[in-house]
Amino acid sequence: MASAHLELRDVRFRYRDGDFALRIPELRVEAGERVAVIGPSGSGKTTLLHLVAGIALPEQGRVHTSGIEVSALDDAARRDFRVRQVGLVFQEFELLEYLGVLDNVLLPYRLNPVLRLDDEVRARAVRLAERVGLGQKLGRRVTRLSHGERQRVAVARALVTEPEVLLADEPTGNLDPANKGLVLDLLFEVAGEHDATLLVVTHDHDLLERFARVIDIGKLIGDAA
Amino acid sequence: MRRALLAAALLAFGCGAADEPAAPAADAGDGRLLVYTVNEPLAYFARRIGGDAVDVRFPAPPDVDPALWSPPPETVAAYQEADVILRNGAGYAAWIARATLPADALVDTSAGFADRLLPVEGAVTHQHGPAGEHSHAGTAFTTWLDPTLAVQQARAVAEAIAAQQPERASELAANLAALEADLLELDARLAKAALVLAGRPLLFSHPVYQYLQHRYGLNARSLHWEPDETPDTKAWRELEAVLAEHPARLLLWEAEPLPEARTRLEKLGLRSVVFDPGSRRPATGDWLSVMQANVERLESALLRER
Amino acid sequence: MSGPLYLASRYLRHHWGKTAILVGSITLIVFLPAGLRVLVGQSADALTARADATPLLVGARGSALELALASLYFEGEPPEPTTWAQVDRLGATGLARAIPLHLGFRAREHPIVGTTLAYLDFRGLRVAAGRRMAVLGECLLGAAAARDLGLGPGDSLVSSPETVFDLAGVYPLKMQVVGVLAPAHTPDDRAVFVDMKTAWILQGLGHGHQDLTAPGASRAVLAREGDRVTANASLVQYNEITPENAGSFHFHGDLSGYPISAVVAVPPDEKSRALLRGRFEAPDETQQVLRPRQVIDELLATVFAVQSYVVAAIATVAAGTLATAGLVFLLSARLRRREIDTMVKIGAARSFVAGVLAAEVIVVLLLGAALAAGLTGLASRFGADAIRTFLVS
Repeated sequence: MASAHLELRDVRFRYRDGDFALRIPELRVEAGERVAVIGPSGSGKTTLLHLVAGIALPEQGRVHTSGIEVSALDDAARRDFRVRQVGLVFQEFELLEYLGVLDNVLLPYRLNPVLRLDDEVRARAVRLAERVGLGQKLGRRVTRLSHGERQRVAVARALVTEPEVLLADEPTGNLDPANKGLVLDLLFEVAGEHDATLLVVTHDHDLLERFARVIDIGKLIGDAA
Repeated sequence: MRRALLAAALLAFGCGAADEPAAPAADAGDGRLLVYTVNEPLAYFARRIGGDAVDVRFPAPPDVDPALWSPPPETVAAYQEADVILRNGAGYAAWIARATLPADALVDTSAGFADRLLPVEGAVTHQHGPAGEHSHAGTAFTTWLDPTLAVQQARAVAEAIAAQQPERASELAANLAALEADLLELDARLAKAALVLAGRPLLFSHPVYQYLQHRYGLNARSLHWEPDETPDTKAWRELEAVLAEHPARLLLWEAEPLPEARTRLEKLGLRSVVFDPGSRRPATGDWLSVMQANVERLESALLRER
Repeated sequence: MSGPLYLASRYLRHHWGKTAILVGSITLIVFLPAGLRVLVGQSADALTARADATPLLVGARGSALELALASLYFEGEPPEPTTWAQVDRLGATGLARAIPLHLGFRAREHPIVGTTLAYLDFRGLRVAAGRRMAVLGECLLGAAAARDLGLGPGDSLVSSPETVFDLAGVYPLKMQVVGVLAPAHTPDDRAVFVDMKTAWILQGLGHGHQDLTAPGASRAVLAREGDRVTANASLVQYNEITPENAGSFHFHGDLSGYPISAVVAVPPDEKSRALLRGRFEAPDETQQVLRPRQVIDELLATVFAVQSYVVAAIATVAAGTLATAGLVFLLSARLRRREIDTMVKIGAARSFVAGVLAAEVIVVLLLGAALAAGLTGLASRFGADAIRTFLVS
């Protein structure tokens, strides 16, 4: 088994409508590495994250995440793996507007019964909320938060299960410049605190210098081609 | 509880005390038949016939003529509780027509001789409104002064009680027979007195003796004199006019007249005899003793006249 | 709380306005037919119980329904009047107890029922306060009448001047309240009971006036001819019966010709009932005798027929409402596609998401049904009287 934390080998993926196809001959990311994924729109950056998370299944090839061959798991097993091992942050935050800050942070525990919500988890969620600067707004409806605050809630939600892999899809795409830095700092800090591997899809070239490695998905495919 | 004690006390002192007027809550409550009456003769008949198994009540106060009495609503409410309400009929106790009483309990003791009722003279007819002329014409109501009618009333009383206590039929019949014997003895003595009178003129202080007069064919006329009032000059003049064409020697009073009236009447050759119709509860004795005393007074007056 | 139920309840609470409208719609479509059925059923039971408790009714020939409704529930027009002679006639047969009813007068919306003490005994009406009416002008209030009018023993009540009879010379009569009946949960609760003779005075048939032979009445005397006195209009007629003037109230003519509305006949057994009905079957008979149960059953058959049409109409509306509610849920599921996607991406099963949506529907349905049940319960507790009044008036 490969020593890399994330590993994709000879992966082919095609959407059901057959429009888009992605081929990744090889991708390795080491544990704790902070990697940016760049590339033009429609090049398959989000698909890459979905493959890593086990949301999407490759037609061919193997995907290892955290030492598990995700591509070989059935639907239920991939769900359970994902909710336990993968934290996800989205461009549009994707919070549940009918829940408050703390309840949004705890959402993974509501969605899948493999996770057990107990006092320890609650305490962790509160700590995380405090960590992202929302300790005073635990019960506040997320619709009443600023965009930056909402994305910080999303970061806390992604980390509440203490995942080994943190995947962020354009996490700063909807934020003003000040908040971009803040959210990215936060992602780096908390990922560091939890020794999580961080894979961030971004268009924002100003931020690239802060990553240890930048993967241009076009080149990745190009290599293969 | 208190009422139960009171009822027990009343029982212990005999049924005479049971017809206190101040007993609006009437229910005998002791399983005895509760009988209300509108006058003393009927109350006496009911007691004689019913005996101890009947609680007889006649709530009119002793100072009021029961014929004119109108009981207060609370007393009417007490009548409502009765098992049997004995009416005299013949227009007696007009309040009954205005009262709410259980029809099942009402017994008209003179219903059996409606054809023998006598009219009262001097009733007022009046007319007003669209209803046309109508009369409040009356019927003479002291029916029991004819002992043969009293016997019929007693029989009606017995029948009413027997209807409620069928198991006592023979006892009631025996009591009735004894009462009838007493009434018929009165009748015999009065008939004898009438024979002695032999059609000689007689005066009544009030027109209340119609049935007595009718039964014994008395040649009598009625005044409108009150025993407790001194007759005025006009009354004396009218009396003299009456005496001129109706030379009576005896005047029957409902109650003892004032001594001066009695004395002045004596001077006119008129002897006063008290003949109490007995419609009220007597202070002493019972209704029969009142009637017997009437007869004795009449007999001795007739004896003295001889 | 399980995940789907938790999320569903949070969603419904957040969108409380939408939830309230949905729950309200469900409540209505469940309550309308259920409540109607319960109320009509209860009213029918009450009507039937009253009819069963009234063996026979005798009245003048005419509408049997009118006679039954007026005599049993004191509702609607009073029937064609009959006379007191029927009470005597029934009594004379020895086949039944005859209880007269005199209807048609009201005291502030409450029916004044002229009758005898036998009626109170027959219906098992117990006096809760005061006593039964004893003398003219006294009245006894049903429990609900006393409550509505705010009256008790010692108060007085004036009969309403407008009556269903078109009679001249009917004046309001001030009556003394002498008692209040214990609740019987029948139409008797609403009634004002008076003696038959008081009812006749209300109708202007008995009257009280000054003693024409008394000195004070000379002004009213037109002519005095021997024993005969003719009075003019200044003769004081009383509109209140007091202990002082009670003795002057009197009735003229033969009481057996006096009007009553109906006679309740209570035969002691089935045989007497049959015999009694036979007595009223002559072709020239002016009276009708009816079994209230029969009349009420006919009325209820009509009511139930109408009810089934109404329920069918409500069912159509309910189907429409349910379809609309379904559409609302479907559209909201579409609007929440991204929310659903997010849940799936984070790690929820599709079945879990379906569970959340289903839980929302179920909670709304259950809330609506529970509210409808509560309303139906309330209606059955408080609405039966109203419906019964509605049905028979």
